[in-house]
Amino acid sequence: MSIQDKVTINQLPTGVPGLDEIVGGGLPEFSFNIIAGAPGSGKTTLAHQFVFANASPERPALYFTVLGESSIKMLRYQQQYTFFDPAKLPGSIRFINLSQVVLEKDLGAVLEEITKEVEKSNPAVVVVDSFRTMVRKPQSDMDLQSFIQRLALFLASWQATTFLIGEYAEDELRDNPIFTVADGLFWLRQTAERNSIVRKLQIVKLRGQDSVPGLHTFRITDSGVQAFSRTFGLTARKRNPPSDRRLCFGIPELDKMLGGGIREGDSALIAGSSGTGKSVLATQFIAEGIRHGEPGIVAVFEERPQAYAERATSLGLDLETPQKDGKLTILYLRPLDLSVDETMHSILDAVQKIGAKRLVIDSLAGFEMALAPGFRADFRESLYRMIFALTGIGVTILREPLRRCLNFQRRSVRDLVLEVSVENCKKEAPASLPDWSQEAVSRPPETLRPLRGEPVAVLV
Amino acid sequence: MTTPPEMRDLARCLLACEAVASKTSEPLESAILRVYEKLRQSLGAFAGVAGFQSLALRALTQAKSEAPGLWAVKIAADGSLQGLGEIKTQIDMDEDPAGEGGVILIARLLGLLLVFLGEAITMRFVQSVWPDAALEDRNSEVRRKA
Repeated sequence: MSIQDKVTINQLPTGVPGLDEIVGGGLPEFSFNIIAGAPGSGKTTLAHQFVFANASPERPALYFTVLGESSIKMLRYQQQYTFFDPAKLPGSIRFINLSQVVLEKDLGAVLEEITKEVEKSNPAVVVVDSFRTMVRKPQSDMDLQSFIQRLALFLASWQATTFLIGEYAEDELRDNPIFTVADGLFWLRQTAERNSIVRKLQIVKLRGQDSVPGLHTFRITDSGVQAFSRTFGLTARKRNPPSDRRLCFGIPELDKMLGGGIREGDSALIAGSSGTGKSVLATQFIAEGIRHGEPGIVAVFEERPQAYAERATSLGLDLETPQKDGKLTILYLRPLDLSVDETMHSILDAVQKIGAKRLVIDSLAGFEMALAPGFRADFRESLYRMIFALTGIGVTILREPLRRCLNFQRRSVRDLVLEVSVENCKKEAPASLPDWSQEAVSRPPETLRPLRGEPVAVLV
Repeated sequence: MTTPPEMRDLARCLLACEAVASKTSEPLESAILRVYEKLRQSLGAFAGVAGFQSLALRALTQAKSEAPGLWAVKIAADGSLQGLGEIKTQIDMDEDPAGEGGVILIARLLGLLLVFLGEAITMRFVQSVWPDAALEDRNSEVRRKA
């Protein structure tokens, strides 16, 4: 069959930032999906976001509530999210309560009621929240599987994209016949790790298109659910071709040692003991870029942007003006329960916003500390993915390392490790810029050692 | 606590709307019952019979403290209003303005919606049931006084 003969499956926006990328572009139209997870995992909020993103007066959404959360309270809470548009009620989004039917009748009557409302409204979207509570009534005539089978057939024929919301525990995922009916199965997890709560989302199945496999972190904020793809949303983007262009530090002798600077699109690690001037060197890299019209990003974890800029000012580097001019963003990433994917999302947003060419992460130790404990175990793997993704879009990265995994980081760095030390250094912060040129000049050329066959400079 | 005047005005507006729609000089009691019944049908579909009934019970309790003439009124299990005929004489507003129990009951019910759902959703809900009601000005009035 040629491509022209194949049916086109339209993709609908999920309304959840980051989720379209994870599901492979959008949710397949007319698909029959299940959102499963424990109480409080964000199932209802996710469904609401989809509903608000797709309902229209011509093709409304029907939101059936069964037993569980009161409809009035649900709306009371859901309207707090920014995606909630009251203007869509009740013309585009209709909430219908089926609790009486469930309590007094059987699943056949529930199906009949849903059928009646669907035929009346011709909806584009149908949600049943929570369908699982329906089977807790012992006198049901139909079992849930049969009910779902018939519901799926009916709603597909009526060209509706459907979400069933159900509360399921982790061990119910396997061998559950209910899930075989569904085209899509979205599994939301919320786990406590030490004192942190980590939310993860998995597309267990999605017929008709490729979704990004694995567990993706997500967060619920006042904007609703926001998902962070493991691939950082970069799968669809073309990687920039390698460049021979060099990005200099503005330190003549150091740039000379590096053959003009760090190659564009490479990553470099600045290693060194406390007080050796790693942050100063990184700041110079950013400031020099701005002087050459190359916007920059500094991601800081251990101090506020204002303090970072003030420290630069004390060293004679102006970071205030470029921030006002939109040439520099100092990202302060909230040091609490972060995931690497979420951090990357913030960095990529900032990169795209100002067209950044240089990025400094200061520091990896602070970055790791800001992560929720559960993510620290995957830090190395995440770091690898992050560097690959960022350098792939042509950003040149300078990072300050985490001492205990320096060896790994050396391996993960594609091109360059700058290891700095100050002989007889004092513990207090440097009052002025270290004389890098002097340091470099004082070293014999033999100290420049190649790493993995790439141009590498190591300052010892 | 008495019913906020803007909620009473909204209730009266809906009653007037029903009176116009019926095109007959029906007693106020009938208009109150029709407004209540429309609220029951549409709110019941959204919140469920039990959900509406509990709201209506709360509204009636509040209204009774303000309009003791409603003593005979009850909310049935399906949320319908019973015993309004008992207070028929009291709801003639010309003769007994203090006895507008039915108006107060409707106002209290709308007031509860306002508390739980906020102005935007409440007004959109009311507008969907009474599309011809002139609620635009009232909307801003409720917002100003809320």
